Amino acid sequence: MQKQEAIDLLVKHRHGAISVTTMQAAAPWHLAGQTSSMHCEASLCMGSAASLALGLALGAPQHNVMVLDGDGSLLMQLGSLVTVASFAPANFYHFVFANGTYESSGNQPVPGTGVMDLPALAKASGYADAFSFEDAAELDPALPELFDRDGPILIELKIARDDATPRWALVPMAEMVRALRNELAP
Amino acid sequence: MITTPLAISLEGKLIADAICELGVTHVISVPDTNLRTVLADLAARSVPKLMYVCTEDEAIGINAGLYMTGHKPMLLIQNNGFYACINTIKAIALGAEVPTFMLVGQFGRDVNKRVEDSPNRAVHRLEPTMTTWGVPFVRIDEPDDVPLIRAAWDRAWTTKGPSAAIVGAPSR
Repeated sequence: MQKQEAIDLLVKHRHGAISVTTMQAAAPWHLAGQTSSMHCEASLCMGSAASLALGLALGAPQHNVMVLDGDGSLLMQLGSLVTVASFAPANFYHFVFANGTYESSGNQPVPGTGVMDLPALAKASGYADAFSFEDAAELDPALPELFDRDGPILIELKIARDDATPRWALVPMAEMVRALRNELAP
Repeated sequence: MITTPLAISLEGKLIADAICELGVTHVISVPDTNLRTVLADLAARSVPKLMYVCTEDEAIGINAGLYMTGHKPMLLIQNNGFYACINTIKAIALGAEVPTFMLVGQFGRDVNKRVEDSPNRAVHRLEPTMTTWGVPFVRIDEPDDVPLIRAAWDRAWTTKGPSAAIVGAPSR
């Protein structure tokens, strides 16, 4: 599926969930108007989106937390799958935008593309369940059911390569941290 | 010849009590050999919640998430672990201005030598590395230093950034 199709569907089904983005999803999520509330971005952390989201999920169990991760980003801290699973947050939904490339640095290939099995890694790490979608038409009806289930759940989104000039997050992370803390712990 | 140690082994309970008095809600740790009795003491308490994680990078991310939800977390790690997570300290603790208090064990230190004279690179480069990255630190080398844990904690919260308390000798 195209990245924008995935973004549009996650916007449609977000329903107030806290979002955490990194790298390829960060700018389109911002441009879709999703970063002004209940959001934090983690693009300069080299793979910390899932652990940051884990802290949010454990600290605010009354909210769903959705992570918009990347395949290259997740691989930088792959052990976070095990850490997330060991704390078993029921409100944790881990979307991985898997385009097989390090998009922001020029679409170099991500190791393991075509060989590794991210949903299998998540399930073997102890996630409650994991899925993979290549087609937006299949993802759309599946999302409400996924959010009804207890996490942690990993959802791999097979995203087409994008050769457009990379766009970066438009708001400094410190501002987002302040804003989210003001919302969650005023 | 009898030499006087430059860092004294502190009782784990003494350090754990100091942590509890801060109002810490979560201690996020990749375990440190030198601080194992602190960890054992904390594990026996219901508060703060002791969380073992795979990497120090994760610990800093989780610390940030808990901070944003109104909790008061901290890290307990080893000197080698500090080196492992410098990029995440740069991005989250410094860049995103998240209070990040770290209790750091000086694993591999010879307590009869000054830190600066240690042949162990992990020991003698720790403080210069923290200084390079703008991470303020205090040394906890004897019982009279224990109140400095609160000073380092307060500094993390006042400056909204990283701050460390370095424990010089293995706890007992």
